[in-house]
Amino acid sequence: MLKIGQDKLPELISAWAGGARVFVPQEREGTSIFTPWDGKGKLTLGQGNTLEPPKDLFFPRTEAMYRYQVNGPAATLETLPPLEEKRVLVGIRSCDARSLLIMDDVFLTRGYVDEFYRQRRENTRIVALACNEAQPACFCTAFGIDPGRAEGADVQMWPGEGGYLLEAITDAGKELLKQAGNLLEEAGNAHPPAAAAPGLQVDTGGVTEKLQRMFEHPYWTAVSRKCLGCGACTYLCPTCHCFDIQGENQGDSGYKFRCWDSCMFSEYTRMAGGHNPRPSKKERLRNRFLHKLQYFPERYGKFACVGCGRCLDRCPVNVDITRVIREVKEVTL
Amino acid sequence: MAEAARVNPLVPQVGRITKIIDETPDVKTFHVTTETGKPFTPLPGQLAMLSLLDVGEAMFSITSQGPDHLELAIKKVGMLTDALHEAEPGQSVGIRGPYGNGFPLEMMRGKDLLFIGGGIGLAPVRSLINYCIEHRKDYGHLWIIYGARSPADLCFKDDLFNNWPKVENCRVDVTVDRGDDTWQGHEGFVPAFVEELNPAPEGKVAITCGPPIMIKFVLQSMEKLGFKDEQIVTTLEMRMKCGIGKCGRCNLGSCYVCLDGPVFTLAQLKKLPNEY
Amino acid sequence: MSSLQEQMRTRARELLSKKEVQVVIGWEKGTFWYLSPPAFITDPDDCERLVWDEFCTNNLAKYLLDYKLGEEKIALFVKGCDARGVNRLLQDNQFQRERVYLIGINCSGVKDGRRAAALGEARRAEVPLAEKCLYCTHPGPVIYDELLQEDRGAGAREAAATAEGRFAMVEKIEAMNPDERYAFWTSQYDRCLRCYACRNICPACNCRECIFDRSQSGWCGKQMSRSENQFFAITRAMHVAGRCIECGECERVCPEGIPIMALNKKIIKDLNELFGEYEAGLDLEVRPPLGQYDLNDPDEFHK
Repeated sequence: MLKIGQDKLPELISAWAGGARVFVPQEREGTSIFTPWDGKGKLTLGQGNTLEPPKDLFFPRTEAMYRYQVNGPAATLETLPPLEEKRVLVGIRSCDARSLLIMDDVFLTRGYVDEFYRQRRENTRIVALACNEAQPACFCTAFGIDPGRAEGADVQMWPGEGGYLLEAITDAGKELLKQAGNLLEEAGNAHPPAAAAPGLQVDTGGVTEKLQRMFEHPYWTAVSRKCLGCGACTYLCPTCHCFDIQGENQGDSGYKFRCWDSCMFSEYTRMAGGHNPRPSKKERLRNRFLHKLQYFPERYGKFACVGCGRCLDRCPVNVDITRVIREVKEVTL
Repeated sequence: MAEAARVNPLVPQVGRITKIIDETPDVKTFHVTTETGKPFTPLPGQLAMLSLLDVGEAMFSITSQGPDHLELAIKKVGMLTDALHEAEPGQSVGIRGPYGNGFPLEMMRGKDLLFIGGGIGLAPVRSLINYCIEHRKDYGHLWIIYGARSPADLCFKDDLFNNWPKVENCRVDVTVDRGDDTWQGHEGFVPAFVEELNPAPEGKVAITCGPPIMIKFVLQSMEKLGFKDEQIVTTLEMRMKCGIGKCGRCNLGSCYVCLDGPVFTLAQLKKLPNEY
Repeated sequence: MSSLQEQMRTRARELLSKKEVQVVIGWEKGTFWYLSPPAFITDPDDCERLVWDEFCTNNLAKYLLDYKLGEEKIALFVKGCDARGVNRLLQDNQFQRERVYLIGINCSGVKDGRRAAALGEARRAEVPLAEKCLYCTHPGPVIYDELLQEDRGAGAREAAATAEGRFAMVEKIEAMNPDERYAFWTSQYDRCLRCYACRNICPACNCRECIFDRSQSGWCGKQMSRSENQFFAITRAMHVAGRCIECGECERVCPEGIPIMALNKKIIKDLNELFGEYEAGLDLEVRPPLGQYDLNDPDEFHK
């Protein structure tokens, strides 16, 4: 195990920035957000989670897919150059690290590989930071996530006395630590701090099986009453990955892009003829919870929730997934 | 272009429309090909994402194919389909696919097949009918029961009245909800017509596709006639964007219709949430 | 006199038991001590869930639209801003007055949940007023069927006592030069996620179908980009011009903390200057400035 002082952190980030763009959580309007490090300002790696998850780095909120030219009935299509930028994502917490594995299942498996996602994912090294303090809305441990050690990271960091402890997990991680050169010292017998213990607890055992029998249950009418049908929960969720594909015309040319979409919106499932299989917020909210807690586990063998707490922290009406899990387990069939 | 399409499943090939057939006042069949020939070789029942690059992209069932083209029968229902109906041969289009599972050819092999279609719902079923005709020895008796609102709304008239009735061991019955002065055939709704024709379920697989309300009543009729859920096959329509099981919107429970469908047996469908 | 919360529960129970209403919409305790989200009560035995505390922030008026096509009668608890929201819906012909029973509460201002979370429960008394309450001109309900009696007079605020400063943020932005102003608004709206929480909670956003739910119409793009985000922001601000009741909910629910009310207040300020002082949702009989026709209109379009 290696260590680095807080004062040397900017130098470490700068060393990594040599061959890559480095994203770190930085202050923004009272919250923090992953932004490229420009070598200026205070580097704190944030308190708790960032407001937005880092999914935008792999699955941007809007991304061009290809360009086209239209000339009367004729048209040509131009693909975009491959995404080759190397990146290092520093300070990602265990919950968000799990979310990348969930997104990998979606974008990289089941017959088709999403090239846009794959290129960004493969070009990004992950430096995780352990949590030794939970935020009020955190409940990652409910999904078997260890706040003290992230899955899928190249390097694991821990807050330590006056700085950070570091350990390389993968070969790519060893390479990153090598790049740091003599900024790092042997940690001796320093130990990582105890992992955070989230106060919000929920037992997810059996919830998938219960939900399998609850599609028609009146519970969904009750739980969706207060829902505004906005997309805040889905857009702040590190695992929500729904997208739309649309085009933007500029005269004779244009581009097709994809952008985040939300299952909470009416347009999401509305067909060209007007029929909508999920016509109201009841069906839409039900789908959101069933997707996270039943459909995704059925399809990919894991929950599509990582307990980061962003949805319940920012929901304007306190729709709380932990409460939903508890209530689902209690309702009578 | 072809290379890009191979690498990235979301990027279409550019093809063009070579032929447009007016089927009904609001349905046209489009023949689509690319410079290198047929865009791809779908199985019956599979889907294609078709686009006018500067208008939009949507998923359509592939109604048939030739050696170097695909055929898509498309009803005018929205912005893209309105624009397609304005197009003329030579129009460039984007096309990607094939998507979805297609009809269960192995399960149907050796069986008598009963096709029940309504309106534009014959489009996906036609790909299977044509496949069975091409592989005539692999399938038993073919019986096509088809209906539309009016004689003018009957799709694929040439097949219904000329081609299919001539096929060996194949029967075609056509009805319209309401006839006109020239109509000599049957009048009435498809489900009642099916009951009237009274097909026996033994050794058969029934394939049905049409407007939701027709399917609902056809399924009731099939049950009355003694067909089991495993013997009934249908194909679903949902809003789709990616076609590759990633964008999320076409899920029925943990299935994605674009990937795991659009073809389901009624037995499979009954296990999924009723949300289509 | 019993506490407001006790009065709320009692009245809710009476109204439901006597079947005078079928639904009561109020607030209940949420996940944390600083959250009191909306509650929907249909069973008289559930009325104990209702709470009244300093975190009953949500404007409940918009929920009436969920019952628009039904038959049931709804009892709604209304603070000043909720009542103005109800007036908004009534004036826009979105709901029938006889289908809603309004139970007024003199509001002493609600507290900022986010600041409360940061301070911790031990310092509950120090939690400041919510931003949306700082410049409230009408803390008491302007329309109601009955008014619950306040049990602690000291907490009640004088109407308009803090209305000064209502346009301070607007004036600050007006004082910027165009480049600064552009930089300010772009930095704000570049963050917009287009989650539409602002629109969905707004009682003035009551279109049956919003153009931003019809991206294929070609009017608006779905890209989360500078121009599309600003198009959304400006379109919504213009659409609620003269109709915004200043409940501040749009800004409160914004997950990105965009100062949406600064836009709305700029328009209110301009309308006041152009057409005379007007506060939306106070009086059902007074039409909004852009919803009426006047021969003395300073614009010459009618001449």
